[in-house]
Amino acid sequence: MASTPQMSQILPSTTKPAELEYGGDEVSALVLDPGTGTTRCGFAGEDTPKTCVPTSYGIIPDPEEQKYFGKLKIGENPINSVVDGMEIRNPMHEGIVENWEVATEIWRHCIEYRLSSRVEEHPLLVTEPIWNPLKKREKTTEIVFEDFNAPAYFLVKSAVCESFANSKPSALVVDMGHAYTSVTPVIDGIPLRKGSERTPLAGQHLTTQLRHQFTELGIRMAPWLTLKSKTTYTDLTAAPPLRTKDFGFQPHQSFLDLQQDRFIHEFKECVSETWPESKTFPADINNLPDNFRGIVDKAFEFPDGYQRRFGIDRFLAPESLFNPSVSPKPLSGDLPKGIAEMIKDSIDHLDADIRANMLNNIVVVGGTSLLYRINERLNHELMTMFPGPRVKIHSPGQIPERKYSAWLGGSILASCGAFHQLWISKQEYDEVGANIIERRAK
Amino acid sequence: MVGPGFRDDHILLIAPGSKVTLAQLGLPESFTPAKFRIPTRMFPGIEEGQYLPNKVHEVKEGEELLLGNGEVATAGPNGKPVKKRKADSASKPSATTQTPTDGAAKSADTAMADAADDHEDNEDEGHDEDEEMNGTKEEGSNSKLYYEDDFDEEGAIWCLDQGRIVNWEAFFALLLHVHETLNPTFHTPILMISQPCWTCTDKERICQFIFEKLKTPGFGMMDAAAAINAAYNSQHSLVIDVGYEKTDITALIDWNIQEVNRTTIPFGGHSMNKHLQKLLPEFTEEEIDQLKRSNICEILPPGVPIPGEEDADRDALLRPVEPTTIGMGDLAQPKALDDEGNEEEEEGVTNIAAIVASGKTQEYLAKKEKEKADKKAGLAAGEKRLPNYKRETNSFLFVEKVHDSVIENGKADHPVEIPDGERMDVDITPATTTNEPKPANEAPTAVGADGSLQASSEAAKTDSEASKAAPDGEANKSGPSLMESMFSATKDDDDAKRAQEKALRREEKKRQEAAQSGEKRREIEVGTERFKAAEGGILEAIADAAHRVVSSADNYNMRSECWNSVIIAGNGCRVKGFKDALLNTIVAKYQVSPSSGTIFTSELPSNIPTPSGTGTNTPQPSAFNSQQPNALLLQAAANNAALAAAGQHHLSIPQPNQGPSSIKIAKIPEYFPEWKDVGFEECMFLGAQLGAKIYFVTDQGASKGFVTRADYNSQGPQAIHNI
Repeated sequence: MASTPQMSQILPSTTKPAELEYGGDEVSALVLDPGTGTTRCGFAGEDTPKTCVPTSYGIIPDPEEQKYFGKLKIGENPINSVVDGMEIRNPMHEGIVENWEVATEIWRHCIEYRLSSRVEEHPLLVTEPIWNPLKKREKTTEIVFEDFNAPAYFLVKSAVCESFANSKPSALVVDMGHAYTSVTPVIDGIPLRKGSERTPLAGQHLTTQLRHQFTELGIRMAPWLTLKSKTTYTDLTAAPPLRTKDFGFQPHQSFLDLQQDRFIHEFKECVSETWPESKTFPADINNLPDNFRGIVDKAFEFPDGYQRRFGIDRFLAPESLFNPSVSPKPLSGDLPKGIAEMIKDSIDHLDADIRANMLNNIVVVGGTSLLYRINERLNHELMTMFPGPRVKIHSPGQIPERKYSAWLGGSILASCGAFHQLWISKQEYDEVGANIIERRAK
Repeated sequence: MVGPGFRDDHILLIAPGSKVTLAQLGLPESFTPAKFRIPTRMFPGIEEGQYLPNKVHEVKEGEELLLGNGEVATAGPNGKPVKKRKADSASKPSATTQTPTDGAAKSADTAMADAADDHEDNEDEGHDEDEEMNGTKEEGSNSKLYYEDDFDEEGAIWCLDQGRIVNWEAFFALLLHVHETLNPTFHTPILMISQPCWTCTDKERICQFIFEKLKTPGFGMMDAAAAINAAYNSQHSLVIDVGYEKTDITALIDWNIQEVNRTTIPFGGHSMNKHLQKLLPEFTEEEIDQLKRSNICEILPPGVPIPGEEDADRDALLRPVEPTTIGMGDLAQPKALDDEGNEEEEEGVTNIAAIVASGKTQEYLAKKEKEKADKKAGLAAGEKRLPNYKRETNSFLFVEKVHDSVIENGKADHPVEIPDGERMDVDITPATTTNEPKPANEAPTAVGADGSLQASSEAAKTDSEASKAAPDGEANKSGPSLMESMFSATKDDDDAKRAQEKALRREEKKRQEAAQSGEKRREIEVGTERFKAAEGGILEAIADAAHRVVSSADNYNMRSECWNSVIIAGNGCRVKGFKDALLNTIVAKYQVSPSSGTIFTSELPSNIPTPSGTGTNTPQPSAFNSQQPNALLLQAAANNAALAAAGQHHLSIPQPNQGPSSIKIAKIPEYFPEWKDVGFEECMFLGAQLGAKIYFVTDQGASKGFVTRADYNSQGPQAIHNI
């Protein structure tokens, strides 16, 4: 609307304005994208989620407490405050909800925190990973209708959202998240179970590896919150005494881990880098060949003030995503396949006629895909694996679009006109029960 | 109407805060601090669901009622007040003048210079409304009388809690009250400052109310952080808005609020009260509050020991600055002296008013001073001249009763007044000027007869020497921050002394003013607890949250820009030294220090890009390219570059540097003279005026800065999200 119509609206000060004319009642849909690291939520039609809260929660265990057996602390600020006896837990397991009671509270917090005080007024679109089993899908449906009392609801596979977010109806979606890296082929908006793969080589794996690496080096992992101040030093053997804060109690280890994750995250952002080729990565980083030189060192300062230059060792953890055998901390159980291998597996499972299409439309999203130069490495490996067909990797150039790709796709879906017929209404749920989800959203 | 749609003087600004709602009608030529400050509370009215701005007492015929300001009202027959007198004396003549009771009178009367008249007006207004109420409700039963009591806060409903609207009915009643008080025209658009924690549905509700009840032709909402940022005119910034019981921390990049990462932590000015209360359990809440607002409550910079305490830990707590030891140990006073002072100074109430009235102030003060000096046998000589931070104890003036009221700042001829409330809950200038002046004739009876006048005597002494030299206006400005005086003190202790004298002069002036207005005051002495207001964890909590907010900003390159433009606003940060202490805390814990020289030498901006195989041609500002990349990397880069040229889209987003490597406070805007005197803690309101000017006047809705009536009619309350 141009600026002119409003001019005519202005009445002289002596005239009373017209009575209310608006009678509509449009309520926008909410999009909820629960992940292991963070839970994202916002209004459909917007380009970024309004809230992004950690899925981890704090709990002060108390067997007397009827619900949850303790006092819950949900949200970014509560879990980042030092509280006596607070443990940090996560309601997710293997990328899907395990503790429903707490997950419900987290979702509710996510919605009520900054979006809407009235959950029951908004249709709700929830994303799920492709490996979400039927029981959990039904449970989600139940929560949405029973607990939130939502008027309408739908459950979408996050891979579908991610392909939509990159404006591709068909794509091979590589989602490098917190707990899992998954590969899902999507054809015309339909995710294929056949050919979808996942591996725990993702953000959490990196954190574990880096934590191990730092511990091996003898670095004191004191997080910011436990420190009063820092003294910079570079020699670990002559480290100045730690100036820790005295809380009068010892914070729980899980809390300290969460706090350590904060600077490890910073390390991932600023220092970690992916080696460009698989073949040339030195077999033994402690014993580099003579002709191997010229790695650009990067310095990092730990919260306690320790400064260290990282050379080839800053490539190690990301390398383990592609080659798990080099992991600083040996992995338990069978050695998983590297990410590139996994993509190859996925492609090999597909019908030959869609392989070319998939290879040409590889969409790489997720927070871990922000690891410096990981896409170059991925591209290099895939080019080597599939020399014939043209491999093409698509990855959004903006950080939020990568991190919130699944949410963004959900936002696009829920706001498009044709989606209206897909919503499952409260009435349908009341008639059919939780199984409606299996009938309506396969 | 030809020309601009809205006129400058027809714009209504409302900024609700947890304690006080700021409001103003019209944009002045030069932007001013808010003209109206209205407590964000309502009282339940006589009828269910009715809300009134003031407490209303119900009095049956013949009953007596003690009003909050110490007056007693008695209800007579026919619902008329028969008597009105002071609780402790009958000296006050009863009010009889009738004045019209509309919003205009109400707002104007509070700012009247003549205190006595002012007071009567208020009461008359009360009467009128009483009668109205009786007329409508009682219908013939004339036995009841309703009194509006301006000074009673009991039973008040505070509409906001930590910024969140907790009582919608009361909040809407408050908006209505604000609207009536300012009484704008029909074509007055409204700009409201929204709290960061308001949800989208909250905003829709407000939007709906504004359009349907207040019938405005245009309504806009501006986020508090955006408004603060606008006042500072900063493209990227980190806004730390310290409020009453919460602090909002928001990163802004390219003027845009980073919605996802912003946070609100439950620490604010009131947290400091709570902490002080813990340290000083014998103090009342009111005393704690005034202590916090007083000059003597400050947060010492790192390296300055709390006097009398061997607190090596303090140094460790904050980053040791270069002049760690500022030789002042020799000036610390003996403990015994302190105890003596304690006893003496707690004796209490001084009849300042009587002394001033008698016109013998100077003599009295001189006498007192002499007595005291004798008593202390010279030991105390010079003690009172010491700056606050060198004294183990110091005292502040406690004002017996503080009342919130609507004060129209613009009309007052002394500098802008700041009463309490969230937006101003820590006031450097003690509460003196904040109170509604009371009738002078009240004073003699109200004040106790006996007491000592120690600090004031000293103050008066220094004052009498120096007051001619410095103009009052200057003295009333917020004094040099402790930081400033600290550093100058290292060079020249005289500077610090001068600053101190200035402060004393200021104190004295207030004392005199107070004496004239006849408030009850007494000296309260406090020990070193007064330096510990912020030790309850507020600084660390804010610092950590700020670090989280910036570290999660999705634009790597702009993080350092945010750190270089930190804006600390909100009235919670008015405590002396708070801003510096907060900055120091952030720097001490989170700034990546380039100290060890060798490692970070190449941190200096370098123009040599590392090979960026990103296809973006963005030279990555790499800090550590002292060595040449190896052949493999170059090869890989070349490969990638070739692919990029072939139209590959697999960008790697450039890697950021670890940060922050520098943290700076944003520069305070210089071109708003009215704000300089008051301080920029409430600069949010300045931003609101700038915003209103742009949205409503300059571009007249061209860039959809507000919702018009037409928009509302077609889109409903949700229109508020489209601006």
